[in-house]
Amino acid sequence: MNKKIQRSLAVVSAVALVFGVASASTAQAAKQKGKVIYLAFQGPLTGEEAQVGQDEVAGVEYAIKLFNKKYKKKYVVSLVKADDQGSPAEAAKVAPGIASNAKIIGLIGAAYSGATIASLPFYKQRNLPMVSPSATRVSITDPASEGGAMGFPVFHRVVVTDKVQGPSLFKLATKGVSTPKVFIIDDQSAYGVGLVDYMKPGIPAGQSVGFDSVSDKTTDWSATIAKVKTAGANVVIYTGYFPQAAPLFKQLRDSGYTGILAGGDGVLSPTLPTLAPASVLEGVRLTAGTVPLAEISAKLEADFKKKMGKASGVYAAESIDAANVFLSCVAKGVSTRDAMLKCVKTYKGKSLAGATIKFDINGDVAGGTMNGFEVRSGVIKFTGPIK
Amino acid sequence: MIGNFFDQFWSLTFGGLSLGFIYILIALGYTLVYGVLRMINFANSEIFMVGTFATVIVVRDLFKFTQSSEYATGFRLWFILGVALIITMSVSGLLSVVVELVAYRRLRRRNSGVLAPLISAIGVSMVLAESVRIMTDSRPVASPRAMEKKFLGEFFDAGIRLDNTIIVVAALVLFFILWSFINRTRLGKAIRAVSMNPSAAKLMGIDIDKIVSATFLIGGVLTGAAGFFYVLKYENTGSSIGFELGIAAFTAAIIGGIGNIKGAFFGGLALGLLETYASFFLGTQWKAVTVFIVLVLVLYTKPSGLFGESITRTRV
Amino acid sequence: MINIRDKGVEIWENSGKTTRIAIATLSIALVASLPFMGGTILNTPIASYESVLVYPIAMFVLMAIGLNIVIGKSGLLDLGYVAFFAIGAYTMGLLGTKTGLNAWEILPIGIAMSMFAGLVLGVPALKLRGDYLAIVTLGFGEIVRIVALNLGPLGRSEGIIGIPTPPPIFGVEYSFDSHRVYYWTLLIMILVAIWMVRRLSARRAGRAWESIREDEDVAELLGVPTFRYKIWAFVLGASVGGAAGVIYASKTLFIAPDNFTLQISILILACVVFGGMGNIWGVILGAVVLGYLPDRIRFLSEARLLVFGLVLVIMMNLRPDGLLPRKKREKAIPVKEKQ
Repeated sequence: MNKKIQRSLAVVSAVALVFGVASASTAQAAKQKGKVIYLAFQGPLTGEEAQVGQDEVAGVEYAIKLFNKKYKKKYVVSLVKADDQGSPAEAAKVAPGIASNAKIIGLIGAAYSGATIASLPFYKQRNLPMVSPSATRVSITDPASEGGAMGFPVFHRVVVTDKVQGPSLFKLATKGVSTPKVFIIDDQSAYGVGLVDYMKPGIPAGQSVGFDSVSDKTTDWSATIAKVKTAGANVVIYTGYFPQAAPLFKQLRDSGYTGILAGGDGVLSPTLPTLAPASVLEGVRLTAGTVPLAEISAKLEADFKKKMGKASGVYAAESIDAANVFLSCVAKGVSTRDAMLKCVKTYKGKSLAGATIKFDINGDVAGGTMNGFEVRSGVIKFTGPIK
Repeated sequence: MIGNFFDQFWSLTFGGLSLGFIYILIALGYTLVYGVLRMINFANSEIFMVGTFATVIVVRDLFKFTQSSEYATGFRLWFILGVALIITMSVSGLLSVVVELVAYRRLRRRNSGVLAPLISAIGVSMVLAESVRIMTDSRPVASPRAMEKKFLGEFFDAGIRLDNTIIVVAALVLFFILWSFINRTRLGKAIRAVSMNPSAAKLMGIDIDKIVSATFLIGGVLTGAAGFFYVLKYENTGSSIGFELGIAAFTAAIIGGIGNIKGAFFGGLALGLLETYASFFLGTQWKAVTVFIVLVLVLYTKPSGLFGESITRTRV
Repeated sequence: MINIRDKGVEIWENSGKTTRIAIATLSIALVASLPFMGGTILNTPIASYESVLVYPIAMFVLMAIGLNIVIGKSGLLDLGYVAFFAIGAYTMGLLGTKTGLNAWEILPIGIAMSMFAGLVLGVPALKLRGDYLAIVTLGFGEIVRIVALNLGPLGRSEGIIGIPTPPPIFGVEYSFDSHRVYYWTLLIMILVAIWMVRRLSARRAGRAWESIREDEDVAELLGVPTFRYKIWAFVLGASVGGAAGVIYASKTLFIAPDNFTLQISILILACVVFGGMGNIWGVILGAVVLGYLPDRIRFLSEARLLVFGLVLVIMMNLRPDGLLPRKKREKAIPVKEKQ
């Protein structure tokens, strides 16, 4: 009998936990003085994809922290974190919730293109402006795609698209190589495949010697390396993310490959140098639409680390830029979605790295120059824009 | 393509072999538990994941290696590797025993069939993966390189690398220790007895709980060893690596005949080679499909795997 | 703990026809009115309550009922159930965007496609037993996803965009945000599935499945054509998954391989076991709880999946047979056995 009571108690307390604590989390922001403005972040915060979302949300929170300090008495910006696990299925249930929460006047995200596409109908319907730090799929803003630019009018992004990055990455990777033999590996994600799709048409005849498409869960690259070797490649481009790029680069170098290694902004994470010996990463070429925090200034990175408790991660600069678009509008007194959308559409400001950020009619960041980087003795160094 | 294949044959084979030996060790973790309990230990993949982190912590935090450190050599190298291996094996072994206590013991006593423990083990693996994810800020983690990956020699143009050699030799040693342990010692005999007939074993005075704990311990220790070798070879880990490798190792155990130690050995080898060859021939994206087709073919011709399901060869 | 199942059965068995109809109508009305209770304590933080009701809750319930035919009724361990869901969804996606067919016309095609896939997989796989079947089905689930990921016409990793919503039926309009309408549609499908399963369980098929679950060899010896009934269970289960997939694709308008991962198969299996394998009401309850919980505890932010895992471990240990387990000897002995 005693045991039964214990068991029932356990169940009751579990249920109480589920239903009880809900109200506690929403009441925090109200204590401070100033007008409370709600922004939201959508991206993967739990599960297997969490790394991208957690790195981005840290950037967003950093920007908000600075803002709240600066406008202490006037505004308090509070962030709603919406976890979509990077999956369209999760996004489709989070998006209507965020969209119908009228307090939220701007959304930073979604982090992934698939999740963005699944969420878009709801945000468009409720006119919630979005600025994504990392959804790079071309069709979201491409008026030439089937049915027009599907993100119009609410979607914006501070990150350059696959269409811009793909060819630039190829250009940077083959720069200074007299007879390039390029082997391209994608990670089977929409991001990686997209980059390759937009890279392909620009490849001069005879310069590409092979392709491989490898799941982003792969750790053993021996088959791919064997292909690289039989193809006799002297340039290897990986379109994927840094957690897989590090072991790939390591295994390639260990197998005796001496050619060029290159990757896009998914590989360009400040944590990349911690994942492989400096000797392996020496000379790795990377592209991105922005510049990582540490390269902008060491002080900025140190401040970030102090405030957020961890070093800045992948897409950190883009996330800060995206948050700043909304924050500067808030500083202008914007407090409704309509006003926010208008403000974002006409926004013109500086990115962290000092480039101009403004959006074209379809939501792409105008201009969108690509920057080149190279890893030198374990540090990612800016080598100038790619022309 | 065929010509290329023969050019690369030996280097592919060496890559596949060392991957295969890692599979073998994880597969042994599945197979031992299955042999005794007839249950899939779903949390084994996360025991492996935690093992990889144990190795990283030893190399990075205990011996203070960084990505730009000098390689260790001579006695110091073997000392570091030995310490890392032993600590990793202990961590995984103990964790495995705890998993049994939390996820299986109560359910086993209540005779609750196969599925309830399966779900509670899935719960445990979620808890493990998510805890590690939160502790690592969701970021991948690398083990700094403590050992130079030097080439020992060449075999038909393919370099024989030190780390691959260590993996193959050490895994073989571990396998034969296990083999003689199961076949020669008293405890091994008891494990076999429980695997053949738990009730009869109980009647003969064998403490089933103790045997089950011992089995989980051994399975965890071997899985931990796999974690160590994995880090030695690939040097990277993360909170989500367990799942994929766990499924692969489980497939290996099934191909060989789950519950059968010899089966895990040949299943692991076969899978490691098959995956590597198939990736080269058909493209890496079709690797899983090839494995699946081979799996179906094997099971269709031999419904309980290549070597049948029994913890040793003999089953009456 | 109070045995809720027996209490429920007792009330049901002891009431007359009118009371039964009253109970049934009342419960259906109550369940149908759930979308209106968003303002209450049931509300989910961050995610939209109404859309959580559609996916995951109602979808999971439907799929769990389907999987329960395979696992709970006939004891076949299927770890790749998501394959049928995916096949239904991709049928809808492809035909919906490439042909003029609408969702209601595609629904039977989707069901047929997933049944066919069930047959293709079932014929070789059902010769196997227990855990061998588990790994083969698991592999199959992954294969379907990988094929979708690598075949051009299926959109590869970009998926299929712009899937049409179903046309109005009896004047009820469907659009991407009419969560309630989808919820009620799924509710009707769930009721149909429940009706189908209950009819079958009481008949020859149900008895055959039960005999297979209890002891396949004995069943075979007693003259039950076990293989044929196993295939039947498998194909029927697949059909429910396919139907769920068609409706799912027509609601999300966009499907990609990422929607059909192994985790879904595992979750649905967890729903079945967690709720009470073999008992349809238990399975439904399990799917409701496990579909709802991750969204209800979003206020835990980072730790929510961790807590979800803990709940699985604790509840399985407390109630190994599930929340509402099946009776040990279903239908074998008349009801008046209890005192």
